[in-house]
Amino acid sequence: MLLPHAQTLAQARSYLAALADQASTVDASSAYERVLIDLDRIHEDECPAADTEGLTEDRAVLLAVATSALEELDQYGIDPLTIELIIAMLDDAYALDGT
Amino acid sequence: MYGETGAAMRTEFAALLRQHRVQQRLTGATPEAREELGGRIRTYRQTVLVWLGQAMRAASPLAFSNTPPAQPNPFRAVGSSGSHLNTASELARAIDLARQQSSARPASTDALATPNATPMVEHWRLAARAAALAEHDTSEQVSAQMTAPQAQALVGDVAALTQALVVLDQRYKNTPGWEPLAQSARLGWASLAAALDVNLGQPDYAVDHLGWRPKTKVITGPVRPGILGVLQAQHNLAIRMMSAPNATNLRLVVDSQRLVSAHLAPYAARIDERLAGRWKERAETYSVVQRELREIGGLLGKGGLAVAEGANAVARLKALPHDTIVEPRVLSGFQLLFNRLDDRIADVIEDGVEHGAFFKRVTLPRLVGGGQLVRPVRERFVPVTSATELAVVKTVRERLRPKDEPPTATPGPTRVDLHSALIHRPTTGGAVDVPNI
Repeated sequence: MLLPHAQTLAQARSYLAALADQASTVDASSAYERVLIDLDRIHEDECPAADTEGLTEDRAVLLAVATSALEELDQYGIDPLTIELIIAMLDDAYALDGT
Repeated sequence: MYGETGAAMRTEFAALLRQHRVQQRLTGATPEAREELGGRIRTYRQTVLVWLGQAMRAASPLAFSNTPPAQPNPFRAVGSSGSHLNTASELARAIDLARQQSSARPASTDALATPNATPMVEHWRLAARAAALAEHDTSEQVSAQMTAPQAQALVGDVAALTQALVVLDQRYKNTPGWEPLAQSARLGWASLAAALDVNLGQPDYAVDHLGWRPKTKVITGPVRPGILGVLQAQHNLAIRMMSAPNATNLRLVVDSQRLVSAHLAPYAARIDERLAGRWKERAETYSVVQRELREIGGLLGKGGLAVAEGANAVARLKALPHDTIVEPRVLSGFQLLFNRLDDRIADVIEDGVEHGAFFKRVTLPRLVGGGQLVRPVRERFVPVTSATELAVVKTVRERLRPKDEPPTATPGPTRVDLHSALIHRPTTGGAVDVPNI
């Protein structure tokens, strides 16, 4: 894994972790957490640490940046379909969070 | 476990002690038939004596006398000068003597397993069977975990059963071909002395929890309906967690426990407010553990089956109707499984960190400036040098691991029953004892 890939992955993990921390219900938090675990699983658990310090508390903004970071992973050799599936899981989690 | 086998023995002996007119109860027309039944009873008695001797051997290293020692010098063995013998060792010696001097052999497996038509012999058989099973529970491995107060409780039980044997020996002496216990008077006094010595201290009846237990197994078969299905999955999860999971699967299990606790709390609140509070707290603890586990990685281990059971528990719990009423018995079952699982998860995390199965993820340096610098990242994990540095280990130790509650141990009804049977008097014709005026 090269540094830009690691950097993007770290960002995606950080945003997902922030979303899980700030979720309104325990179910939504768990759903975000599972997106994060799935992201780790496709990288065979070879991931840098997440850093949620200083991130915004606006969940809509976090969702947007997380989605864009996930889409960026496409450039580093991750299967696009897998990424799409993870983004779909993230959208489901966000829908659960909003209700 | 000793609680079950010991209680079975005491129940049978209490029933035997309440039976008088022994010769009428030995249903045999001829003296030969009664002699045969008497011989069978003596084999059963021999099995009980074998166990009594074995239990005393297990307890005697820890059965210190409660009477103040005459010899204040700790380097001199107590009783070496003959001034102060230990009552427990005296009892052990008397039991061994009675066992060796008896000509009867211990009952065979067939004799222990075959029911007898005579009710009195049947009581003896059940007592002997419990004694044979109790050999599991007072073996050397078990006595290695015993504490001194627990050994005292065991000595007290042995003393009461010995007293019962002595009383019954007197009552059976007219049976044809009966062989009385060797030095039965001495045996009776030794048991009395041992029982009195035990009662000077504080015997710990938690000894009932020691001993052999059947191995817990996965509950297979069809899913149980309603809340029992959740309990089934939770039980299976506790068993599946016996093999160590890898970091990803551990996070999934932790997630399932957070959800199970959070969703069970409202059901518990209708029955037991305090329990609901504890489960809400457990859900919060698991949230913290999960947050901290994000920074832990590791590929060693499996745990797929545990994850599946965790997911089963969550799915079945979510499918429950909201007006379900959960029995207190089921709630305490959940609490028991939660404690066991929390303990195991705490072990997995602590051991994993200590033995290098889990690693801490490295925080990447942030790119400053143009961001054109591209270089390979050599390490993304660092071994944890000291387990106590990690936040997750701290949380697990302080919040997750169940607090050790000392098991509440009472003497139980069977001990009281045996003692009251030892001293009871037969009432003739149902006449009630009234004080004379």
